[in-house]
Amino acid sequence: MSENLSTIQIEVLWNRLLSIANEQQSALMRTAFSTIVRESLDLACGVFDGRGRMIAQSDTGTPGHINPMATGVPALLRVYPPETLRPGDVIVTNDPWLTAGQINDFTVLTPVFRDGAIVAYFANCCHSADIGGRILSAEASEVYEEGLRVPVTKLFDAGEPNHELFKLIRANVRTPDETVGDLYAQATCNAVGARSLTAMMDEFGLHSLDALAEEIIGRSERAMRAAIRALPDGRWTHEVWSDGFEEPIRLCVAVEICGDELFIDFAGSAPQSSHGINVVLNYTRGYASFAMKAAVCPDVPHNEGSFRPVHVDAPRGSILNCIEPAAVASRHLVGHFLPGLIFGALAEALPGRLLAGGADPAWMSIWRGRRPDGRTFNITVFQLGGSGARQQKDGLSTTGFPSGVGGVPAEVIETLTPLVQHERTLRTDSGGAGRRRGGLGQHTRWSSRSGETWSASAMIDRTRFAAQGLSGGRPGAVGEFVVDEQPRPPKTVVRFAANALVRLSLPGGAGYGDPLLRDPHDVLADVVEGYVSIEAAKREYGVAVRYTGDPSRILQLPHEFVLDIDATNALRN
Amino acid sequence: MSSFHVGIDIGGTFTDLILVDPTTGVFVLGKELTTPNDPSRAVQTVLADALQRIGASAADVARIVHGTTLVTNAVIERRGAHTALLTSTGFRDSIEIGRENRYDLYDLMLENPRPLVPRHLRVEIPQRTLADGTTLQPLDEVFVARLTTELTDAGVEAIAICFLHSFTNPHDEQRTRDILKAAAPQIRVSISSDVNPEIREFERASTTILNVYVQERVEHYLHELEGRLRDMGFAGRFYMMLSSGGIATIDTAVQFPVRLLESGPAAGALAAARYGHQSSIDSLISFDMGGTTAKIAVVDDGRPLITHDFEVDRRYRFKKGSGLPVRIPVIEMIEIGTGGGSIARIDALSLLKVGPDSAGSAPGPVCYGRGGDQPTVTDADLLLGYLDPEFFLGGRMALDLIGATAAIERRIAQPLGVSIAEAAWGIHQVANEAMANAARVHTLERGRDPRRLPIFAFGGAGPVHAFRIAQALGAPSLLFPLGAGVMSTVGFLSAPLAFDFVRSWRRPLDEIDFSHASALLQEMEVQGERVLVQSGVDPAQITHRREADMRYIGQGHEIRVPLPAGELTTAHAMDVAAAFRNTYQRLYERLGPPVGLEILNWRVTSSGPDPRLMLRFDAPMTTHADDAVRGRRNAYFPELGGFTSTPVYDRYRLAPGTHFTGPAIVEERESTVIVGPHAECEIDAHWNLRVQLP
Repeated sequence: MSENLSTIQIEVLWNRLLSIANEQQSALMRTAFSTIVRESLDLACGVFDGRGRMIAQSDTGTPGHINPMATGVPALLRVYPPETLRPGDVIVTNDPWLTAGQINDFTVLTPVFRDGAIVAYFANCCHSADIGGRILSAEASEVYEEGLRVPVTKLFDAGEPNHELFKLIRANVRTPDETVGDLYAQATCNAVGARSLTAMMDEFGLHSLDALAEEIIGRSERAMRAAIRALPDGRWTHEVWSDGFEEPIRLCVAVEICGDELFIDFAGSAPQSSHGINVVLNYTRGYASFAMKAAVCPDVPHNEGSFRPVHVDAPRGSILNCIEPAAVASRHLVGHFLPGLIFGALAEALPGRLLAGGADPAWMSIWRGRRPDGRTFNITVFQLGGSGARQQKDGLSTTGFPSGVGGVPAEVIETLTPLVQHERTLRTDSGGAGRRRGGLGQHTRWSSRSGETWSASAMIDRTRFAAQGLSGGRPGAVGEFVVDEQPRPPKTVVRFAANALVRLSLPGGAGYGDPLLRDPHDVLADVVEGYVSIEAAKREYGVAVRYTGDPSRILQLPHEFVLDIDATNALRN
Repeated sequence: MSSFHVGIDIGGTFTDLILVDPTTGVFVLGKELTTPNDPSRAVQTVLADALQRIGASAADVARIVHGTTLVTNAVIERRGAHTALLTSTGFRDSIEIGRENRYDLYDLMLENPRPLVPRHLRVEIPQRTLADGTTLQPLDEVFVARLTTELTDAGVEAIAICFLHSFTNPHDEQRTRDILKAAAPQIRVSISSDVNPEIREFERASTTILNVYVQERVEHYLHELEGRLRDMGFAGRFYMMLSSGGIATIDTAVQFPVRLLESGPAAGALAAARYGHQSSIDSLISFDMGGTTAKIAVVDDGRPLITHDFEVDRRYRFKKGSGLPVRIPVIEMIEIGTGGGSIARIDALSLLKVGPDSAGSAPGPVCYGRGGDQPTVTDADLLLGYLDPEFFLGGRMALDLIGATAAIERRIAQPLGVSIAEAAWGIHQVANEAMANAARVHTLERGRDPRRLPIFAFGGAGPVHAFRIAQALGAPSLLFPLGAGVMSTVGFLSAPLAFDFVRSWRRPLDEIDFSHASALLQEMEVQGERVLVQSGVDPAQITHRREADMRYIGQGHEIRVPLPAGELTTAHAMDVAAAFRNTYQRLYERLGPPVGLEILNWRVTSSGPDPRLMLRFDAPMTTHADDAVRGRRNAYFPELGGFTSTPVYDRYRLAPGTHFTGPAIVEERESTVIVGPHAECEIDAHWNLRVQLP
């Protein structure tokens, strides 16, 4: 039956592949060791056909891993051509230029054999808890300082662990159990996927996935092209600024819609930096093609076919197409701006379909110190700010965009380390005002119980340039990194006194539409819930709200807030 | 003699019952309209009627098992208590901040779930416990006392308490609860260390809130129900079905009502698995259509699929991630708003729409003659000749065909400019299409091919619609159990009495004192045996299953590993490690890295014997299908040109081995099977009606 698949068969098999990719991700999270993988989902999982083309990915994860993994797999197969692989082989690399652009990101690839031939591959890409070198920051000037680079190598050889490689890794990293444990989990989840894929092929009597892959990729490509064709032709440009390391970084884009193809060019963006905020082209392409997929064709499953009509380029030697040996550890702090940058360009072409600006880069902080018993600890924590408002909906508070990573529960952080999180609350007034309000960021406060000095590297951005609104919406709040009430520099390792209190306040998303057009009752509801202060209601929205309750009480109840219609009308006129 | 077992299911429209004598298999079924304002009233009616029919009294009932969708409905309709949440300082927003990730990477219009407790009723209590259980900041009891007054004044009826690390040290939660209860005994309080003592504050808080949010309703209702049953003379044991398919005492149910979510539908899926297994069909689609909703579940390898990532009330396109997380084991299913009571209307685009709003039991479909004036699926089924106006619920409820016809004519046929029959067929088809699509998606998402899976159809309306759904899905065959109209109740009586116990005691495997572990396990087994014996189980038939939650040291998730029975010693460490490796490899294909193992929780499940529910008939039977035909009526089959004279079979007269061919109508008291043209029908050895699609 492998040659002529009916529409129903394609639907069944395609859905099965998507389900298998989710099963793969579930196995990865359940067997992983680091919080980065098991709590924050900084990962990608995918099924590839016999030619190394991605045909299915798991539902969640992060585009920064999914797309570079998809485009990176053929590079791995050039080093180990399929005819050299044996059952039980597992290949690994963290080469930034081949895959996800950061030396912490391990891509693990497993061939699936059937009757002696490779019929498919499973791959995944995860951010490792530590890879040696400097503590993850933007301080390095060459990739060599950023940790141990593992070229395309066998992790398992015909089922046997590559002991020499594991020894080498263990000796070079701060978290040997987590780094190696996650690599095992990465091999494990591919094996789980392979088991289910083999069962599927048995069940349906398939000898190859070629015909199915052609259908999946072809149909997805046609759907993507049809969606692009429905857009107006034209060329739009936009620019945004990132905090950068020592100086702000300008990012520029020109987006051209031409028939059923899209051309995205980042010419004009800043040159390659001498610090670790550079982005490899693979990663630039990943986020640019992700942005277009989300904007024009979100409902069709993502695979090789979605990439084909989207052409992405950035000048060689620019910050979005850096040349080896550039330092790249903090590449996401630049790369995460790209979808927002592209949306800014397309706001006119796709009215009502895009987000206003958001917090953009996921905040990642690496905390290090000693436990009371003298052992060191090292933990990576992701946090998310607010996302931008939509034409018909407020922005999402503390929910990532464009990255799909999640946070880490306070209880997990505190169980693994002597850190104490004292606060994790929504940040009042951080969402940009608008007819639809931007999503809120969050305040977090931290201390350590170790009784000695400790440190953190705050891999964060949007502390200088706020998210920008659409159609008259106001900017979101910028982020803050404060130690004992003193602002401290991002993207570098900062040492703290034993009793220091650290505050990370995440940026908010921007608003959509004129805030004076927001329904005053919606503003009142925001004030009651504390998303917007009484002062900001007046200042930003022209809405007068009075609190009539007893200020000494703990609870402030809805009926105690009064909307003053006359005063509001006066303010708004 | 006190010997009967009774299963009772309260759905949105009907209250169903089975009463069975477990020694003989003799049974009685019942179905009554649900009485939403006082659900126990319908239970009393249906039970009294069943007892009368079999010539017994409530005192003859040894055991009642009950399940209901009422808990889920209370959450979806946000009809729970006015609830507050108390958290550790700095953490009142955990339930709104959530997991921080996007549940769909590409959809820009996502919405996050709206917490059940608004922010102005989430209060931070000065207190802080650390990960090792020690205290960073002691509980401010004066603050709690002050707050109690304010919460009472604000009309708060229920309070969830979720402090950080309470699963390690529950002291502050317990103390806060005690202060609250002492000052305001009328307020319900749930503490997270009782409801869900597991790490991860967001999910734990969410589960705790749901628990207390519905607790008052559930407790009131269960006590009302138990009171009525006792007043009737019932002196036996009263149990609740849980979401996981297990059963528990009423005390447990009232304390942890969150475990009752979807307990009625869960029983249906359980019954489907049971019946399928009996007929050697281990994989099937369970299709349950009642008055308000349709529920579809996949049974694989003889068991319904269980999920631990359950969510209630998925708000955004029913997507996973858009609902409120509940950390309890639940039988996995999809539920959509299409039932017999679903209302049909013409929408703004002049298209025919069916549901999701339902006429429920009051006023109900037009044909119930209880004041409903909007045409429903049941009205259409009646018009199409699928239902007999004189034989609904075995003739105890006459249906108003004229009223139903008028409503469909006025509201559907005239606006669309079609005949009344075409309008009714349109309603029937639109409803089927919605259900078939949901079934297809749910089955495909689980990676199963709906064209290979037989459909097990039940629920009051399921057998009327299942044939067309099977056609739409391309399913090979259908299975209609006897008593399809009340099948969930059969599920209640199919679950063995079982109780789960757990003790948290976290240790690396090579540091475990196995004599202490043995004591822990034996203590739980003694406890299990005591509860089961109290429930009337013969001690000789009790079995205990021991398990441990284990993982490689450093992982964040555990797997459940079987433990040996009997006295454990250090020599067993090797066996436990081997059992872990076996389980791990079976689940994950390969082993983890060379690091140590740890055990987090120790578990015992104590079970009574598996009930072998065999239903038996005393009615005169025949294997000559023609002898079971009790008449003919015109029913609508478009492929035969419209209304066609169709034989009506009496289900109770069809003995195993009987064959006949569609079109056919097969009636029993609580449901009617509609079989399309050319389908081959057979009654199998277990009295199931099996239909092969042409």
